[in-house]
Amino acid sequence: MLTKGMGLLVLAAAVLAFPSLAPDPFILSVGVVIMSYAVLATSWNFVGGFTGYISLGHASYSGLGAYGTALLVIHTGINPWVAMILGGLGVAVLAVPIGIASLRVRGASFVIVSIAMVLILLLVFQSWGEVTGGSNGLRVPRPFDESVLRPEQHERFFYLHAALLAVALLVWWAIDRSRFGTGLKAIREDEDKAQSLGVPTFNYKLTAFVISAFFTALGGGMYALWFGFLDPIFQFSILVGSYMVLMSLLGGIRSLLGPFLGAVIVGYAVEFFKNQYGDTQFHLVAMGLLLGVVVLFMPDGIIPAVSQLIDRFRPQAASIREVSAGELAEQRRTASGPGASTAADPATDDESTDRLSEGVQR
Amino acid sequence: MSLFFQSLVLGVLLGGLYALLAAGLTLYFGVMRVVMIAHSAFLILAAYLAWFFTTETGLDPLLSLVVTVPLFFVTGVLMQRLLISRLRPATLTMMSVLLTFSIALVIEGMLGFVFSGTQRRIRLPYSGESIELFGANIAVVKLIAFGLAAVSLGALFLILKMTQFGQALRATIQHPDAARLIGINTDRIAGYGFGLGLATAAIGGTALALDSTIYPSLHWHWIGPLMAIIVVGGLGSIPGAAIAAMLLGLGQSLLQIPLGTTWAQTIFYVALFATLMVRPQGFFGGRLAQRF
Amino acid sequence: MTETATGTRIGLATECLSKSFGGVTAVDGASVQFHHGKVNALIGPNGSGKTTFFNCVTGMIKPDSGRATYLGDDITGKASHRIARAGIGRSFQLCRVFPRMTVMENMLVAVRSTSLRHLAAPARSTAEVDRARELLSRVGIDHLENSEARDISYGQQKLLELAGVLMADPETIMLDEPAGGVNPALIDRIATLVRDLNAEGKTFLIVEHNMDLVMSLSDHVVVFDRGRQICEGPPSVVQSDPRVLEAYLGI
Repeated sequence: MLTKGMGLLVLAAAVLAFPSLAPDPFILSVGVVIMSYAVLATSWNFVGGFTGYISLGHASYSGLGAYGTALLVIHTGINPWVAMILGGLGVAVLAVPIGIASLRVRGASFVIVSIAMVLILLLVFQSWGEVTGGSNGLRVPRPFDESVLRPEQHERFFYLHAALLAVALLVWWAIDRSRFGTGLKAIREDEDKAQSLGVPTFNYKLTAFVISAFFTALGGGMYALWFGFLDPIFQFSILVGSYMVLMSLLGGIRSLLGPFLGAVIVGYAVEFFKNQYGDTQFHLVAMGLLLGVVVLFMPDGIIPAVSQLIDRFRPQAASIREVSAGELAEQRRTASGPGASTAADPATDDESTDRLSEGVQR
Repeated sequence: MSLFFQSLVLGVLLGGLYALLAAGLTLYFGVMRVVMIAHSAFLILAAYLAWFFTTETGLDPLLSLVVTVPLFFVTGVLMQRLLISRLRPATLTMMSVLLTFSIALVIEGMLGFVFSGTQRRIRLPYSGESIELFGANIAVVKLIAFGLAAVSLGALFLILKMTQFGQALRATIQHPDAARLIGINTDRIAGYGFGLGLATAAIGGTALALDSTIYPSLHWHWIGPLMAIIVVGGLGSIPGAAIAAMLLGLGQSLLQIPLGTTWAQTIFYVALFATLMVRPQGFFGGRLAQRF
Repeated sequence: MTETATGTRIGLATECLSKSFGGVTAVDGASVQFHHGKVNALIGPNGSGKTTFFNCVTGMIKPDSGRATYLGDDITGKASHRIARAGIGRSFQLCRVFPRMTVMENMLVAVRSTSLRHLAAPARSTAEVDRARELLSRVGIDHLENSEARDISYGQQKLLELAGVLMADPETIMLDEPAGGVNPALIDRIATLVRDLNAEGKTFLIVEHNMDLVMSLSDHVVVFDRGRQICEGPPSVVQSDPRVLEAYLGI
């Protein structure tokens, strides 16, 4: 517990110190992009990590949040930060019917709807030129004065994104330890079983989905205010949605900081390649291969893999107790001689007997 | 009136191609409960192969089928045996989406890499020809594409209904456990089901290459409508998918008159949402996505 | 309606319940009554529709026709979490636990929340954890509290599933093959648990193949064949019924 707290403190300090350590505005802007990815991936993980439902179309909600914020600022002239929150709330409301349609039946429908949403929104936002600016894009007014220079802008937005990320992480953590979170994780592990124990699975999934859409939209809105320009093809892009999935999956969707870690790795790689080789088709291949490798070989992500590795070297309280139970059975068996194993207490039964019966069962 | 009739005929021709491709998508879902996002990427790949074949050899693109259909069939079998079957059953639906999605990305990227992002189109001696049919002007290539789709769909139907393999495949789709109990090797059948599905993409791609301009990211324009079709038709039902494909293809074609091509595409998504709201098991035939 | 002539209270009951998959009728107009407060058993040859019947009653699948009632209230086609909240808990044929959650978390899933505040509060409240521990020690796996459910043995998972069902505090507990795939010592332990819990007022409905267990444990036996009840009564009566022998031996 203490080490965990220390780790978080070090992490927070590193994030806060980054702008002053960044050698030039470009690196700083890469930092902002990575933080933006971290916000989006963490937001995605409200539904992906807790319920196990994979959405490939979360770009819908970041895009809608971005356009919602921009259009509110342009047409009503309200405070941009208020606009961002209103945009998030609007997307959350919109997510209710979408969630109802896609979560009522299990499995495939959710993924299909998530992809369909991105494709339909791309279509609508490209065609509805008089409102969205269409393919010409939409210029978003800056929230800060002209006198604030570029590097200063980047720095402010880096901290703003970090704050939003902190809020999202805090909510994720609170849900993770709550009764609601326990129900959600049960849905991820075995939805039928959870429901048979009295968990209202549909309402739980819908709530998680709406929370996820809300935070994703906030992330999109903040990005819009920073970047200052929106183009449907980049906002409603399947690729952006799949970045969120890859980042979360790579880091580990069952851990609080998994998506953040994934965002740092993938975000850095993406920006590095873009800078080095330009926007070629090759990044699609790399992205596809990486996603395939993660899905096939490490679907649990980096964080669980590493913590398992650490556990192997460091005996923990739980494993000690478990071992002692096994040892107890062992002692009993050696004490009463061979052939007594069937009479052993079933709860502390040795693995082999139970594995055997499992074999018989299947 | 003649415009309406023209759209009607074009809608039927388009619906035929949709039906063939949706049948393939249904096959994957049926045998493995896999939503195969890469289906349309393979479609575009086949279209590129047809285009490449014609520009290199000067022969008719239809001849490329001799290579692409067996190639895609084997690819499908290998994909199922080597990749999809490695996934844990508990998370199969979600992880297979991601896996096939990553395959789609790789194919799109490779196409862009090898053939560049430029738009391509096959020039054929009969490209410009058209037939007058009850006052409607129908391009010959569209008729050929439809004929190809119709014949393949018919062949697929015969395979499923008449052969022993088809019977085993249908049993696997309906009740995999029961199929296994009566001695069907469901793993092998699932592999062949995948192969067949991918073969429809090979045929569809060639048909598509006949009269469309192709580019690497085109597959996104196909996967959305195709997924909508299989949901509307009732996941796992091939006749359902075919009927939904025809109706939605017709709808798209007819809506193009008042709305224009872009907005007409939204019919698929409207139908998708309406189906999920009103009748999530789909309108034509049983749904497999249910529990049990 | 819920009283029979002999004064036994009827808990779970169905009227003409039917369910078919494709062309196969799994449950075929089953009309069954189970005695409240007793240990009921549902037996029948393989493929006689017991598990499908189970799933229809607990809302896992919707029956095509017919009615299911619990203590006189209609529960036909209700979602399974509503049926759970009506007081019916169930286990699954091939034991199902939440594999990547700890044993304790598995237990806490069954805690019922009625208010938003309760829902948002930390799952590990002292009272609930204590109750979970009590149940875990009752089934004998309290020492595994912090292990992930996938790491414990099959027999232990079976016990965990039972404890999880108990955590929801149901009046009626439906067990689908509690003795399936476990060693004799564990079967004894489960039988003892069922007897004790029944003495405390829990109703049981058990689908089971192990005849010795069924006959020694239950007060009321229902025999299924081809999707419907062919015979019912106390174990002694059912055992000697010629229809039962016919169904099992296929004479």
